Amino acid sequence: MTNSIGEIRNADCLFVIGSNTTEAHPVLAMEMKRAVLRGAKLIVADPRRIWLAGMADHYLQLNPGTDVALLNGMAHTIIAEGLTDPAFIAQHTEGFEAVKAQVAPWTPERASAVCGVPADDIRAAARLYATTYKAGIYYTLGITEHTHGTDNVYGLSNLVLMTGHLGRESSGMNPLRGQNNVQGANDAGASPIYFPGYQRVVDDDARRRFEAAWGVALDDQPGLNLNQMMKEIRTGGVRGLFVMGEDILVSEPNLNELEKAMPNLEALIVQDIFLNLTAQRADVVFPAACFAEKDGTFTNSERRVQRVREAVAPPGQARPDWQILVDLTARVGYTGNVGMTPSDIYDEMAGLCDKFAGISYARIEAEGGLQWPCPTPDHPGTRFLHREGPLRGKAQFIPVDFRPSVELPDPAWPLLLCTGRTLYHYNAATQTRRDQGVVDKQSACFVEVHPEDASRLGLDDQERVEVRTRRGAIEAAVRLTTRVAPGRIWLPMHFAEARANLLTVDAGDGVTGTAEYKVCAAQLNRLD
Amino acid sequence: MPDDVPPGPFPGSAAAPARAAGDGLATLSVVIDGTQVHAAPGETLLQAARRAGVTIPTLCHDERLAPTGACRMCLVESSDSRRMVPACRHPVAEGLEVVTDSARVHRHRQSLLSLYAADAPEGVKPGTELDRHMRTYGLEPGLPQVNAPREGRPDDDNKYVLFQPESCILCARCTRYCDEVEAVAAITLAERGSATTIATADNVSLLDSTCELCGGCIDTCPTGALVERKVAHRQDTFPSLKPVRTTCNYCGVGCQFDLQVDPAANQVVRVTSPAPGTTTNDGNLCVKGRFAYGFIGHPERLTEPLIRDASGELVPTDWDTALQRAADLLTGVRDKFGKDTLGFISSSRCTNEENYLVQKLARAAFGTNNCHQCAAT
Repeated sequence: MTNSIGEIRNADCLFVIGSNTTEAHPVLAMEMKRAVLRGAKLIVADPRRIWLAGMADHYLQLNPGTDVALLNGMAHTIIAEGLTDPAFIAQHTEGFEAVKAQVAPWTPERASAVCGVPADDIRAAARLYATTYKAGIYYTLGITEHTHGTDNVYGLSNLVLMTGHLGRESSGMNPLRGQNNVQGANDAGASPIYFPGYQRVVDDDARRRFEAAWGVALDDQPGLNLNQMMKEIRTGGVRGLFVMGEDILVSEPNLNELEKAMPNLEALIVQDIFLNLTAQRADVVFPAACFAEKDGTFTNSERRVQRVREAVAPPGQARPDWQILVDLTARVGYTGNVGMTPSDIYDEMAGLCDKFAGISYARIEAEGGLQWPCPTPDHPGTRFLHREGPLRGKAQFIPVDFRPSVELPDPAWPLLLCTGRTLYHYNAATQTRRDQGVVDKQSACFVEVHPEDASRLGLDDQERVEVRTRRGAIEAAVRLTTRVAPGRIWLPMHFAEARANLLTVDAGDGVTGTAEYKVCAAQLNRLD
Repeated sequence: MPDDVPPGPFPGSAAAPARAAGDGLATLSVVIDGTQVHAAPGETLLQAARRAGVTIPTLCHDERLAPTGACRMCLVESSDSRRMVPACRHPVAEGLEVVTDSARVHRHRQSLLSLYAADAPEGVKPGTELDRHMRTYGLEPGLPQVNAPREGRPDDDNKYVLFQPESCILCARCTRYCDEVEAVAAITLAERGSATTIATADNVSLLDSTCELCGGCIDTCPTGALVERKVAHRQDTFPSLKPVRTTCNYCGVGCQFDLQVDPAANQVVRVTSPAPGTTTNDGNLCVKGRFAYGFIGHPERLTEPLIRDASGELVPTDWDTALQRAADLLTGVRDKFGKDTLGFISSSRCTNEENYLVQKLARAAFGTNNCHQCAAT
């Protein structure tokens, strides 16, 4: 997020796209609700009529995977009606002319033909966003989990830049991070292309910095991203896998192919808190401590580094992941971590990353959390980014053209399936399904079906049904609802006995490798 | 580049000047208990007093909610009114003289608290806001118990939120929180007169209502009428637990909360949110953060290292054996097929330090950049 969560309540326009915020980020959604109850205008763009749609001034029910068409239609309107911020564009950006040319043919009518949102609604949303001074964009996996996810993000950033909605309180570009420490995991360099602090592995100066600190020679070529690793297991390109804290056999797309390939691995090391499906296939399983049993830091969506503190002892012989990693790293011959505490580890990272250099456990203890960039020990942290103009000097406009998703419905696979998350469970649900109160609220997999489709297929509410795609099939209970539009179905990814990812496609975005969890073609079949 | 915006107080929080106060400039001057206090137009007496360090007791007040002045706990004397006024919703005006601790105010607080005590057939729960006020101001006169026929929802089978009507004072913080913050309007004031109670529509279980089980009603309740069902039976629910401030492990909002630990049992027995205005989450939590902590000490947790034995079964072993086996397997793959046939999947569920160590394991120990994490796809 370029803004802070606390700024949301003071926004005057919220543009929420591809984020079911009340379910995926419920407490942040409370800030959105507060803003709207105070009088802020809300634009919600989502193929499903999510809760926030009910309080929106403009609800744009776009066809899944057509975000670029919608966003280009909005950009067209903003430019055609003279609602851009020419001073910001001139001072802080480059490449506007290319985007202007790109969106010129994307009239709201043409965009509407692709995305299904009425042209006048596209215009109204564009005008509202462009003409409100404090206007923020909020998005999450509905934008990124597509083969054109990067294009979607560029489409959004083009809107931000042409309206100058950056570098101010409550105005900015705000991806909401799905997991507690997505931000921190990226910050800390769990990335095939970046060292900690977003320093590129191909950058000679950056690499020399880490080589000097760690006392070893480092690889100067980018590694495999997760999507590529999963596919390389099939072909023998990956033979050994270390997995910490993820059940890849629930979370990764197109699971039948991955399961078939798992025996190709000659080494599978897993550390987790439960014996999940992946751990059951492992050669070695390390029992880990959960968040309540260890010290460390998480970094939230607003770049705030906050403490995690040991409250209870881990069960049995379980150990904190950091301790296991220090020991394992020593066993394979690198002893540079031996004797370090979490605070020492943070200090080592902060010493190698200008963005975090001013952050330490002592400061977090005293100040209660610090937002990076925080380059020096006397720097107060940064509430919103790009205050003095874009951090990289000039922000780049990137023209993007609409590309359809890789697998769309056809007569044999007539329904468009989208997958996602619910309020009551969390991802693979290894944690939430072990608390009865949330299980009472939601105990098993369901599939949202529009009543028109159900009536055509002869399906009743709560009836168990087979959901099938070209890759696999699961069973789920029909939930009749007009939250989904006719021709589309939706189901959650939380249930290990009905894994949504047996169904999903593993085609990834060309830049990030992030798979298209949000769109594939499916059938619903009666069980009897 | 440096950014001179100071962090916190959180914008709009209790500690920050009220947004309702126009441009936030303190252009007015009032006198509170003999001390001159500057205030901004639109501020309330309570806000001005708190900023000046003057304590005015409240019950129905919550920074996150629009003031209603319902409980009468915050009545003070103000020069613009013959009657006492509720400080929580009385606006400041130039030259007002306010007295918050006169004999008259004190007498009022005692009488009011006596009324609340008379309407608490099971007694006032220790450690609650109401209990603290009674300890501060005393009960005078003692009044006989009244019998208010408030109904609860004995058939509500949700596992998290329990309503105990005998402790309720109808301050409506819970229903207003449900309307104004969570905005799901699941609970409401129902019935009339002394039978008035907190109910769902048709008195259905919270599971069948629009309730999303955020538990904000419990957090805001000043009397303990709304409590976590999991701990309602414990005598030490309110005092004597050890709070450990930490960060929620679910989504990326980064809510701060206190794990309330029973040290003798090595157990988290309750989760509470910090006071509004002090952390990013402004005192709020969601159903997962506040209630879904049962996994922490769950009997299915892994408690021993496991390795695959000759027969192909996963069997328990000691740490030394497990670490050596893992090291041998990983170095074996490296030696046989090359370093870049290893993949390291780190976790956005784990800490910064642990992610740093995984990428260091991949890069420094094995020389490969094949390192990514679960949020990547």
